[in-house]
Amino acid sequence: MSSRSANAGYDRHITIFSPEGRLFQVEYAFKAISNAGLTSVGVRGKDSVVIVTQKKVPDKLIDASTVTHIFRITPHIGCVMTGLDPDGRNQVMRARQEAAEFKYKNGYEIAPDMLAKRMANINQVYTQKAFMRPLGVSMILIGWDDERGPQLYKTDPAGYFAGYRATAAGAKHQEAFNYLEKKLKSDEPANVEDTVEMAVATLSSVLAANFKAQDLEIAVVSKDNPKFRVLSAEEIDNELTRIAEKD
Amino acid sequence: MTSIGTGYDLSVSTYSPDGRVFQVEYAQKAVDNSGTAIGLRVKGGVVLAVEKIKHSRLLVPNSNKRIMTAGKHIGVASAGWMSDTRHLVKRTRDEAHNYHDIYKTNAPAKIIAERMGMYVQAYTLYSAVRPFGVSTILACIDEDGPQLYMIEPSGQYVGYRGCAAGKGKQAAKTEIEKLNLEELTVREAVKEAARIIYAAHDDAKDKLFELELSWICEESNNLHTHVPQDVLDEAIEHAEKALDDDDEMEDDEE
Repeated sequence: MSSRSANAGYDRHITIFSPEGRLFQVEYAFKAISNAGLTSVGVRGKDSVVIVTQKKVPDKLIDASTVTHIFRITPHIGCVMTGLDPDGRNQVMRARQEAAEFKYKNGYEIAPDMLAKRMANINQVYTQKAFMRPLGVSMILIGWDDERGPQLYKTDPAGYFAGYRATAAGAKHQEAFNYLEKKLKSDEPANVEDTVEMAVATLSSVLAANFKAQDLEIAVVSKDNPKFRVLSAEEIDNELTRIAEKD
Repeated sequence: MTSIGTGYDLSVSTYSPDGRVFQVEYAQKAVDNSGTAIGLRVKGGVVLAVEKIKHSRLLVPNSNKRIMTAGKHIGVASAGWMSDTRHLVKRTRDEAHNYHDIYKTNAPAKIIAERMGMYVQAYTLYSAVRPFGVSTILACIDEDGPQLYMIEPSGQYVGYRGCAAGKGKQAAKTEIEKLNLEELTVREAVKEAARIIYAAHDDAKDKLFELELSWICEESNNLHTHVPQDVLDEAIEHAEKALDDDDEMEDDEE
């Protein structure tokens, strides 16, 4: 089978299906997410939901405080963007705009699942228009829903989205999925600390690394504190210490 | 797996099979072909320096400046296509002005950097346009103190304490990393910036060049201006002397 002839001609235009019914540009967009080299993990517990991502500052001259992949969208909803950073910021800005418009028109804050659906629908449009490319990012969204509690959603360049008990995106997402599936069979994290621990442990395991506070970014939403909160370096340090001491 | 661009590099709205947008990477190459630009953030302010390569002796000195001001407290130095820079700086001026109109205060560096980054990123989405072939270095003093950002053709932007773009960026970065940016004064940073530009300049490739230096600091009333002539002369003298010293050292070693 010559895969070259199957690829040639269909890859370039996003609106065209290949003979096997694939959209190559969308698949290539997924590759762009893995190429970014970072992995992010989200875990939902009984009363809380946590996102964790790597913080890699490649250049000594970079001001580390300006490097972040975690963004707040509304007071109760935030996200971690994995993939091409500029595309990530584009999507965050759009998400903020959508959420603000919703609040303005309807008088109450948008729910996490509605925002995820809206962002996914926007992503889908990019897979059907010839003049645009899909964004090379995956958005893991967390938030507190007044009626349903902690929520965790993920959107991707294909326009697909789903709610998760735990999910991952980026270079090592497949390994992270395997790890999380095993872990969640036995226990669902009960409190915030356990949720944080499971998320950090997942990253540690798939990246085979022991983290220091400056290598991670963590954000939390919980019943006691339903506002989207990014942990400070000190708080991250405390969590890591607690996890280490437990072992 | 092929990573050649052929076929996948014709428009910015196409991914290659390994998930790269080649048009953006090519835009970065356009930046790497231009004269070096650096920025240094120290406690008292920010210094920008540009190696302005001149293609003819007929050019009037001090004309065709590559460091521009956008909003009195914002300085922009760039490496890459000058015409794209002018477009981007015009947009930055509009954004800064717009911010001031709405919020009645000077735009903070973070906001300006974000707006520039988003604007540049927008040009990497549609097949009807091409990406900007510039890396812009943004210097600003706001309530959080001196700030330095660099916006790349992909729209990626990060805050820096020292950054470089253009032909001599590797050499410049090596020199910048040696500096103790926390301790330098603005005056010292000016001299160091000049020295680094002269050091990164490759005489074999382009003989004619002009050094452009600008700063934002207390001495300039927190406004972005080109450094005064006497400061410029002092910096050039320091830079030329440092080059001579290097040459002497090499001779001694022989």
